[in-house]
Amino acid sequence: MGRELKRVLLEALVVAAVGLAVALLANLVSPRGLSLTRNYFPSGSTHGKTDGSANSNVTAVVTATNWGGQLARESVAARLKEKGLQPIDFGEAMELFRDPQYAVDLIVFIDARDDRHYAEGHIPGAYQFDRYYPEKHLPAVLPVCLSATKIVVYCTGGDCEDSEFAALTLKDAGAPLERIVVYAGGMTEWAAKGLPVETGERKSGAMRGAKP
Amino acid sequence: MNDRTNFVLRLLYHDMVAFVARWILGGVFVYQGLSKAVHPVDFLKILREYHIVESHIVLNLIAAALPWFEILCGSLLLSGIAVRGSALLLIGMLVPFTIGVLSRAMAIQAANPIPFCAIRFDCGCGAGEVIVCHKLLENSFLILLSLLLLIGRGRRWCLQYDFVKSA
Repeated sequence: MGRELKRVLLEALVVAAVGLAVALLANLVSPRGLSLTRNYFPSGSTHGKTDGSANSNVTAVVTATNWGGQLARESVAARLKEKGLQPIDFGEAMELFRDPQYAVDLIVFIDARDDRHYAEGHIPGAYQFDRYYPEKHLPAVLPVCLSATKIVVYCTGGDCEDSEFAALTLKDAGAPLERIVVYAGGMTEWAAKGLPVETGERKSGAMRGAKP
Repeated sequence: MNDRTNFVLRLLYHDMVAFVARWILGGVFVYQGLSKAVHPVDFLKILREYHIVESHIVLNLIAAALPWFEILCGSLLLSGIAVRGSALLLIGMLVPFTIGVLSRAMAIQAANPIPFCAIRFDCGCGAGEVIVCHKLLENSFLILLSLLLLIGRGRRWCLQYDFVKSA
């Protein structure tokens, strides 16, 4: 029995060692691999949001009581202000979107979501900045942000934190913080209001979802 | 021992039962590992919500390595290599996962007035959003299968059942 146990433990140890080596190698060669040393959640701890009202999955259940949504919005606004970021609501986002300066990139919209979500639909003309892969997006996005007078960053909305982290990454890269605002309602609210959504690449011209 | 106990023991040690257990466990872990490995950032974000580590390097290491580690263990079980060692490691992963899911569900329930089994969230298990009660049952079943492989026989249809031949 003792010998058997020892053998199983030794086997588990060998598998664990091989597994760790394989895992690190696979992460290294994968184009989507993570950098082990980069702090992906700056200006905050590695701890995520609390499991309270801000949890979107729970919100689906509690909105029936008209309690989760309001609390979630307040929680997001407080979190943004804590990080020195300025939240804007749907009305303000719309105003900026309709401003003539948007057409000449003096106002820019930044979509902080990944490739798949961006391609599925983004605010027309928005630049993509998936902050988890800044080396891929910053060269195109940063010059635009540096010359813009207003930078509107958004992600999915709800409890999504990518917009605020993207805003902080842009700030660290040199974009003036006072010009950055976060549209907390995000893509979910935008699409729900029936506003035009561009699919595919930026300026692809492919639109969906606009209410007459 | 009565007949019923004998029957259960014979069933547990049956080669076909061990084979099926190996393929269920292996298949589940390869599938879930792949789901996480192709979207490591999503997994990193979910992992962060568990509040398990302070260091961002450790968090990144877990998010980067765990999916591939699961794929390897699942593949070993499917092919029948180092079966008991892999099963032991799976128990070592499944037990903390299950405790983590349970703790998070309890925290959600404490903050929201909803029944426990109505709680749904993406637990980072590779299958998207799940109903917490279903997930806990599924994990308990997988732990039982792992235990079966750890203590059972089932050496047939394995490429190399014991990777380490002698201690």
